[in-house]
Amino acid sequence: MNGNEPHQKHLALRGIRVLDFTWIHAGPSATRILSDQGAEVIKVESNNALSVVGGPASATARGLGQRHNWNAGKLSISLNMKTPQGIDIARRLVAVSDVVSENFSGRVMPSWGLDYDSIRPINPSIIMLSMSGFGRTGPWKDRVSYGQTLQAWSGFTELTGFPDTDPSGPASAYSDAVGGMAGAQAVLLALMHRARTGRGQWLDVSQFESLTSLLETLVLDMSVNGADAVSTRSGNRLPHGGGGPHGAYRCLGEDRWVAISVFADEEWQAFVDVAGVPEWAADQRFATAESRCRNADALDAFVESWTMQHAAEDVMGMLQAAGVAAGVAQTGADLSRDPQLKARGFFRRVPDHQGEQRTIESAPYKLSRTPGSVTSGAPAFAADMTYVLRELLGMSDDEVEDCAIAGAFD
Amino acid sequence: MTIPDTTSDSDLSLPLSGYRVLDLAGPMGVYCGKLMADMGADVIRVEPPGGDPMREVGPFIDGESGPGRSMYWLHFNTNKRSVTLDTSTPEGAAALRRLALASDVLLETGAPGHMDSIGLGYETLAADSPGLVYASITPFGQTGPYRDFKASDLVAFAMGGYMYVTGWPQTPPTRLWGSQAYHTASNRAYIAILLALFHRGMTGEGQYIDVSMQEAVAATTEHVNTTYNYTGESAVRCGFRHGGQFVATWPCKDGYASITTNTRKAWDDLRAWMDRDGMAGDLMDAEYDDHFVLRGEHSAHIEDLVQRWAMLHTREEITEFGQSNHHPWGPAATADEILPNEQLWGRGYLTTVESEDGGPSMVYPGDPYRLTDCPQPIRRAAPAPGEHNAEVLSGILGFSVDEVVRLIGREQG
Repeated sequence: MNGNEPHQKHLALRGIRVLDFTWIHAGPSATRILSDQGAEVIKVESNNALSVVGGPASATARGLGQRHNWNAGKLSISLNMKTPQGIDIARRLVAVSDVVSENFSGRVMPSWGLDYDSIRPINPSIIMLSMSGFGRTGPWKDRVSYGQTLQAWSGFTELTGFPDTDPSGPASAYSDAVGGMAGAQAVLLALMHRARTGRGQWLDVSQFESLTSLLETLVLDMSVNGADAVSTRSGNRLPHGGGGPHGAYRCLGEDRWVAISVFADEEWQAFVDVAGVPEWAADQRFATAESRCRNADALDAFVESWTMQHAAEDVMGMLQAAGVAAGVAQTGADLSRDPQLKARGFFRRVPDHQGEQRTIESAPYKLSRTPGSVTSGAPAFAADMTYVLRELLGMSDDEVEDCAIAGAFD
Repeated sequence: MTIPDTTSDSDLSLPLSGYRVLDLAGPMGVYCGKLMADMGADVIRVEPPGGDPMREVGPFIDGESGPGRSMYWLHFNTNKRSVTLDTSTPEGAAALRRLALASDVLLETGAPGHMDSIGLGYETLAADSPGLVYASITPFGQTGPYRDFKASDLVAFAMGGYMYVTGWPQTPPTRLWGSQAYHTASNRAYIAILLALFHRGMTGEGQYIDVSMQEAVAATTEHVNTTYNYTGESAVRCGFRHGGQFVATWPCKDGYASITTNTRKAWDDLRAWMDRDGMAGDLMDAEYDDHFVLRGEHSAHIEDLVQRWAMLHTREEITEFGQSNHHPWGPAATADEILPNEQLWGRGYLTTVESEDGGPSMVYPGDPYRLTDCPQPIRRAAPAPGEHNAEVLSGILGFSVDEVVRLIGREQG
């Protein structure tokens, strides 16, 4: 890898090096955003964590997919941080990096002498991204969490779902995806700040806070309206009202659904026309957006009596042709054949280290001048030892061998 | 705190101070503008003379709509400025164009082709302002067969593949609390804008950014695409039993608690506690030793036992036991438990803002990240319609007082 290839001028982060200790989901998804735009991301991996989700020897097929999806385009080295030589190499890499990233529990980086205060003397303008469940300060700094724990603790679990069933919460680790986006944003902001001021800094990302930021007005509402605040599950209806129909409606076939949202009166009229001007649509209860919202139970039953006669794709097509927002609740299989995602190249096939084609997601934005580039899947475990040790650090054969004998790469 | 009366943003202590953003976004992008404003950008919202329709979105202070009472508006427009312009008049449209050319970033959420149709497309603006970063968020992107399709938050959440898997097998596919498709699109657009601004800082070049809300959601599901692309199976709804009983939430004595048995020790600690309560059944047998057993053929049997046991204990007992043994266990908090949260207050994430005009004080959440070298206070409450007409139209565009009055119909700000 070098910075002089012609295509690299189309990468916004060419020349930026990230020493990446992150693992599992949130951290790697943050640094994948950076590597897509040309940052050289060096994953520091360990023999002790080969089979975790997204690890180099992921135990399941889905874990392998996540390995590629969150680590495409990165480099991999193996360092045994239990040896002084391993720690020494990490410190030398800090000196030649722009960003250090980690999402361990709070005691790990200090135990290696790699917390922000310890590495700043090595590289005063270093930017360090620490991602954790609750942040590295405050009374809960040592609490442990998974994405699902944070979703529960932030209220997302209790608030997501229908009022008359158990809450469901998000289906997956929304917390990790949100933390990953916040981590990437923080690094980009810090890079801009450094470009202007020359100063590096420590980024203390609390995924609990990242999630809480997405509760919209909940905190304001509770602080002003207290017990009268809207604070319970509302299924697929908007908690503060507005229009109707607004929900997922069953269609022909097994577990097939279409989401429909109608707000303005013109949209309602268009919806009624597409549905064949059924008798129920003239009901006074459905005359205005406000009354449709108030009588949503009755309305939903009528709407579903219509959608159930059609395939979900057909409902979407008919309503969209009339200017009404409607879309299939797409499954994994649906997404893989979605003509829109196909036309936009959302799924990309890239070769892994053995030349096998792997499917990954693209960045969900297109930049006209710096479109970014992903040309390979996740690296093989420790695939880039030679480049990193010999070229980047200038270590001699003897030095590398001594470190190997000391177990620094085990 | 009370908000200091600042009208200039000359200080460069925040990463985006000194950048001007023209925020023409609707609900899909309003959070993106807030994120930039909170990091120091001079974000100017352009509203029609009567005020932005988002001012009519609840919740409202004391449950009553009216000027300054929409907390939706107040939350999503902190630190922004507001001008009112009637862009259907030639003078208003010309002023908007001048404002766009005086900006570093333009953020918009119009349907594909709309901005071109009013003479404010990227190509025409970039011809005069090559450094402009121009970001468009649309439901499905600027290209492709669905480019003209409409989508609300709900519809994009469905089309992005997150809705089908959220909820229980017996419920319809379910949206998340809050308009998370909108906010995910905003989050992704913000990343793209920061990339473009960093590139501009290095090269002086601006560029066009095309964000698809559907793709933003599809890239955020964690498991939907990797499951299908690597196993050929579509992931299904399983409520809060994420990944089987391995990472799961359970009904307990006073609500719900998240009990993740991600390690052998977590599983051993759980079944030993159940055993002490006399509720472990046969789970202490060696055939249940591997914590991956929770994903296997015995999962229904184990679920039944764990479920009966969990009802004996409160969220606090479960959390206390789990955390003191370093397991990621915690309560499902209810909405009224967020505001008093000691960690959010302890880190200064929540801020009480006193009203300046006799209204109630209000607690605002902070930003999704903490930059320790860049303090991020709320510098300015969400603006009233046209609050900054004079300072923007005169101060930035150089209109005379007479011209401002003529443009906005009456003197304001």
